[in-house]
Amino acid sequence: MEQKKMCLGLFTGSVDKLTAAGIILGGAAAMDMKVDIYVLLQGARAFRKDIGDNTNKLQMAENPELKDEFLESLKNLKVKSWVEFFKEAKEITDVKIHVCGLAGKIWGGEKLEDFLGLADDICGIGAYITSAQEADVNLFI
Amino acid sequence: MTTDELDQLAVAKIVDARGTACPGPLLEAKKAIGTIKSGDIMEVLSADEGTKVDLPKWCTKQGHEYLGTIEISGYFRIFMRKN
Repeated sequence: MEQKKMCLGLFTGSVDKLTAAGIILGGAAAMDMKVDIYVLLQGARAFRKDIGDNTNKLQMAENPELKDEFLESLKNLKVKSWVEFFKEAKEITDVKIHVCGLAGKIWGGEKLEDFLGLADDICGIGAYITSAQEADVNLFI
Repeated sequence: MTTDELDQLAVAKIVDARGTACPGPLLEAKKAIGTIKSGDIMEVLSADEGTKVDLPKWCTKQGHEYLGTIEISGYFRIFMRKN
């Protein structure tokens, strides 16, 4: 069976959208898809080592006043953190995470070591466009 | 398959994913199916309503045979044969 490919432009640095990205990634992993993730502007901030799934440092994209309620519901439903979703997907299928070099610099990250261990490399926008052209499924979150 | 037929299947592996939310049952199924032999039957237990739609679709895409679902109060028993 030919392996399908998903390309995800991850612009968001918000806990609600990152959680959605993690759940989608879980689905892609279960489907044995190859996934390329390009971490763009706000996403690169969330990928900083000192941020990750520290929810005190992440905003909500929508309904910001409901953040506590949202996080409490995730906990009650035993939903993993976005970082755990990403980690699990990497264990199951071929997921490569590329951090946009410019985005990294904007948030003070120059090198791969400045980001979560999940990140595979630092790249430019050309790599994202090439991957998007080749993918069966394209998402931008 | 009827509920009785499903109930009498010789199941090689039972995956209890009732404690996990979506996409947990799907991921548990994905991990577990790698541990059984081709032709073996696996049963997934899930309390997540979405799983009874997700797993049959997943079986079709992955080339496994979806056999049926038994609905019990509070959870589902979903059966599939590995190809």
